[in-house]
Amino acid sequence: MDEFNNRMEAQRNVLEVINRQLDKKEELCGLSKKAIERWIVANQINSESEICKILYTISEKLFFLANKSQEQISEEYRMVSSEISELKLDLEKAIG
Amino acid sequence: MHIYAFGSVCRGDIDTESDIDLLSIVDGYDDRFDSSTYSIYSYNRLMELWKEGNPFAWHLATEAKIIYSSNGKDFIKDLGEPKEYIKCKQDCIKFFNLYCKAVDSISSGGNSVIFEMSSIFLAVRNFATCYLLGQHKIGNFSRRSALQMNKKSIQISNDTYRILERSRVLCIRGTGKIINRNEFENSWDEIISIKNWMENLLDEVIENG
Repeated sequence: MDEFNNRMEAQRNVLEVINRQLDKKEELCGLSKKAIERWIVANQINSESEICKILYTISEKLFFLANKSQEQISEEYRMVSSEISELKLDLEKAIG
Repeated sequence: MHIYAFGSVCRGDIDTESDIDLLSIVDGYDDRFDSSTYSIYSYNRLMELWKEGNPFAWHLATEAKIIYSSNGKDFIKDLGEPKEYIKCKQDCIKFFNLYCKAVDSISSGGNSVIFEMSSIFLAVRNFATCYLLGQHKIGNFSRRSALQMNKKSIQISNDTYRILERSRVLCIRGTGKIINRNEFENSWDEIISIKNWMENLLDEVIENG
């Protein structure tokens, strides 16, 4: 799969973890900072919670690669991709 | 440092949901720019995009209007015309795959429907833009490019297109009304039919090399 679709897949996997919680009024629509802010307000979630901190970190990492050159991307993508996988596990633990 | 406006505000193609697309060009990291407000690029990366003939380079070359320049020069204007766009086939396949993956995810009971609908919108718009630029040398960077292809336009209703567009705004800007179950169900058959439109255009792209 190409790097672009890999990044979309990483977002999909993280959103799947969040949106499997059935007690939420609104689903998390994306991993942009503004989509996360909306989800926090709509569901009255504590913005200082571990879940929110992890989500913001993942968001920053996902969008970090957007303007990197192809030469830089391979190595950095591997690194960020593995960090996101670890953060996804942290998210699962934080949700419980 | 350079700052540009681009997108709908420069095309005059605005509606109540239009935002203002801003581009900042910097050397290295600059913490004054929030990535949720600006598309942030380095000078080198933009030069690379110009050399690749990347659609985003064509987008900027066609529309970007300078707002601020720290050296009095118009960096984008001075880059001239980007190289010819040659990755049309590769990009169309990429966005076709994105569409297929999003539809598969919804069909198999995925729980992030709005994100998937947003991905479908992204796939459709970018597919149309890449097809027009690669096959017809037409630079159409509008959110509605897929509806502006004359006989080759996507055959879905305005209501369905609008639902996909709203999903994209929810995913990126976090604004607008959540898509409800009825809206989703009423648009689903048309969303599935998009595959035929993409396949037909992709056949043409592959045939033309």
